[in-house]
Amino acid sequence: MDELTREFLIESQEGLDRMERCLTDLEERPKDAGLIAEIFRSVHTIKGTTGFLGFKRLEKLAHAGENLLGQLREGTLTANRSIITGLLQLLDGLRSILKTIEAESNEGVGEDAALISRLEQLQLPVKGRAKRLAHARVGATSTPILPARPALAQPPALDPAPPPAEPVQAEPVQTATPAPVEAEGDPTRTRVQGTAAESTLRVDVTLLNRMMNLVGELVLTRNQVLQATSADPRMTLLSRRLDMVTADLRESVMKARMQPVSNIFSKIPRIVRDLSQTLGRRVRLQVEGQDTELDKSLLEAIKDPLTHAVRNSLDHGIEPPDVRMAAGKDPEGTLKLRAAQEGSHVIIEVYDDGAGISVEKIRQKAVERGLITAQRASRQSERELLQLIFVPGFSTAASVTNVSGRGVGMDVVRTNVEKIGGKVEIDSRVGKGTTLRMRIPLTLAIIPALIVRSLNQSFALPQGALSELVHIPPRQAAAAIEWIENAPLYRLRGKLLPLVFLDRLLMPGGDHKMAAERDSFIAVLDADGRRFGLVVDGLADPEEIVVKPLSAVLKTIGFFSGATVLGNAELALILDPGSIALKAGVSLREDDTVRVNEDEGDAGAAAALEYLLVEAAGRQAAVPLADVLRIEQLPLSRIEYIGYRPVLNFEGQLLPVEDSGGVLAAAEGDPQTQTIVVVCRAGDRHVGIAVSHVLDVAAGGDLFEAGTAQRTGGVTLLKNRVTGVVDLGAVAELPAGEQVQPEQSLIGETVA
Amino acid sequence: MSTAAAGLRVKENAPAAALVEMCSVRLGQALFGVPITHILEIVGSARPQPVPLAPVFVGGLVHYRGDVLTTVSLRQLLGMPPKDGPQDILVLESAGGIFGLLVDAVGEVLTASPADHEPNPSILDERHRAFFAGAYKLKDSLLVMLDPEQLDPMRLSAARAA
Repeated sequence: MDELTREFLIESQEGLDRMERCLTDLEERPKDAGLIAEIFRSVHTIKGTTGFLGFKRLEKLAHAGENLLGQLREGTLTANRSIITGLLQLLDGLRSILKTIEAESNEGVGEDAALISRLEQLQLPVKGRAKRLAHARVGATSTPILPARPALAQPPALDPAPPPAEPVQAEPVQTATPAPVEAEGDPTRTRVQGTAAESTLRVDVTLLNRMMNLVGELVLTRNQVLQATSADPRMTLLSRRLDMVTADLRESVMKARMQPVSNIFSKIPRIVRDLSQTLGRRVRLQVEGQDTELDKSLLEAIKDPLTHAVRNSLDHGIEPPDVRMAAGKDPEGTLKLRAAQEGSHVIIEVYDDGAGISVEKIRQKAVERGLITAQRASRQSERELLQLIFVPGFSTAASVTNVSGRGVGMDVVRTNVEKIGGKVEIDSRVGKGTTLRMRIPLTLAIIPALIVRSLNQSFALPQGALSELVHIPPRQAAAAIEWIENAPLYRLRGKLLPLVFLDRLLMPGGDHKMAAERDSFIAVLDADGRRFGLVVDGLADPEEIVVKPLSAVLKTIGFFSGATVLGNAELALILDPGSIALKAGVSLREDDTVRVNEDEGDAGAAAALEYLLVEAAGRQAAVPLADVLRIEQLPLSRIEYIGYRPVLNFEGQLLPVEDSGGVLAAAEGDPQTQTIVVVCRAGDRHVGIAVSHVLDVAAGGDLFEAGTAQRTGGVTLLKNRVTGVVDLGAVAELPAGEQVQPEQSLIGETVA
Repeated sequence: MSTAAAGLRVKENAPAAALVEMCSVRLGQALFGVPITHILEIVGSARPQPVPLAPVFVGGLVHYRGDVLTTVSLRQLLGMPPKDGPQDILVLESAGGIFGLLVDAVGEVLTASPADHEPNPSILDERHRAFFAGAYKLKDSLLVMLDPEQLDPMRLSAARAA
């Protein structure tokens, strides 16, 4: 394909994407001249260029569309639903021809006559139609042998277009777009686009991929330099500078690959429009956070899951208008798409205010299909049961429609999202609605991972799958790991967790030391809905790793998703928790942490609020476990100061560190001392708490004040000791500047 | 490498195109040759990272120009005992992509005349014969030519499965 044609294809596709967006908007604002002009321009450009390139079929079709659009532009015709439908069909027609050109370098053979004649029929404005009919009648009277035949033949062909004068009916689709680009009025819009075109550049994706690869190399080299020079104080400044520049460069290259989610969101109004017409629903679409950006390849990957989710919402979620009326709801349903960035992830939500999912139905269906035993189903929480809809072959739809309901769908959504390291969750209330939440990492090429040791080798474990780590000292190993026949199990807070020994898995039949002779660590993993513990010999630091693909021969092993180079220049294989679970036989059914009967009481207690028990300068305190994001061990030199407030540069974000326990102050003067910072969530903010030790996780008990019997705040009963709860909300905000108050101690005294 | 150097023959009257250029590699006492047209690079004293559960012929992974390269161990392939310590790697290009060939040591580039070439002797081990492309009679030793296409890990794994 020559350069000219390729450029034409790219431009036309962009034009058509714009046209699609404008068309759905046009339905709302049929008189918006700006929108019509924009659509006209797209089609006109295609027509103009095709004539030049000699694509006759395309030219003919575009020409028919242009004529119709011309009338809209002149105002002799007003856009109504059937005109918009016709224009959408034109759009599809143009797209399919473009696709053929892209694949085969010629237009292919296809019949567009039906579409062209439909577009021509739509063109005739009322007056023209009447005139022609009159003519026909006149003709008919003069030739009585052929009475009014042609005239009679005309109207059925003309219809089903309602007269354009008729007020446009209820708009089924409405896009609430806070995006600034959506400025109304044509002149501003074109100006904006003009400047954008001058300051932007088309770059080949392969070049961007290459740049990303090179930046990955640089990150690796930086990691090695940082490790090699950490002992040399003269290098500290230089390596810190290198660190910063690398981080900035990485971010810029990543940004270059970013595209706004509006690129995929823009396809949704059309889907909603078409589906709501087929299904007889009335739906208002709201879109939020269109300018949130995501890596191009990830955007591609979530296109299908998103479409699936929207289809599901329309088919199973939002009820037909009469049902909604009967339920006392607005006959028009709301479908809300929301995108937002949260740390190193992008959250994409699909919300509908429809019928919701009946947990009872799921329970029944799951038992019926044998996915879960009735006994177990009765004990699972609503939330746990809801996640069952992601199991392959599961569908609660009473009947299979051609839109959805075949039970392939939600599992595809989950598989696709997990393939790119994301997570899916569903929340639903019967009668109120359903929210599907996808958590997508910002980038694929660089992921946070925990480095674990086994077989005297390092392996990288993606953090995304890791939920917690358990240390088993040698003397406790025999008691801690229990066996049912050949299956090792660990009691994690009263629930049995199936274990997989990494060394036995990777070297079957090898001579493995008994767990009693050495320290063991259990990495509790959550992969594809399978929960299990991976037993490894040791843990190293978490690292940001650059994923390198493996050769085909090694991919077939199945346990490794790639390889990476660590900071110490060692190569490490990246473990794939999903396939490890699968191959080790951790099934969805067993995984759900079979509860032991005699532990029922204990498990009940586990439902109470759990706390992380920490020690700071000799005192114990509790942090609500739900708020703990991670625990970092780092040299004191990483702590920096703004004024006298300690802060931590944590993954590029500034984290205020609370040191009311005086841990940092006590260790000052020796920058090599290791200090522990518990990173917590406090409302929307993240804060760090400096502690000297992390002791345990325990369930808290409520305490009641003597006499008043009122629940006491700020303290909890942990392991039968009254322990102060750290008030995360009270950690002062940044930048605090002059306003910093002399802090009171936030860590309460422990009353033994 | 005295033996290899002694085997170097440049026939001055032979047309240059007829000469075969190869890189000699050593494996224990044996001398092998790889046509230089297939060699991208030579990486000296590498310690490949072993890959658990990989087919036996896989010598491990090495970091090569930003990518992770799968290596084939010539020792394992020919049924020789593994060697401790660093080994040299020839980075080869075949139809299936690039891979590393793990050998004890890389010698030098030799030029040989097709006149000294002999096809594979029929008494060679059936399983290994496919890897060889005949031998060159050097002055005081034999140099067995390797066929890089046959050493491609994808092909090896397909052959093993068959």
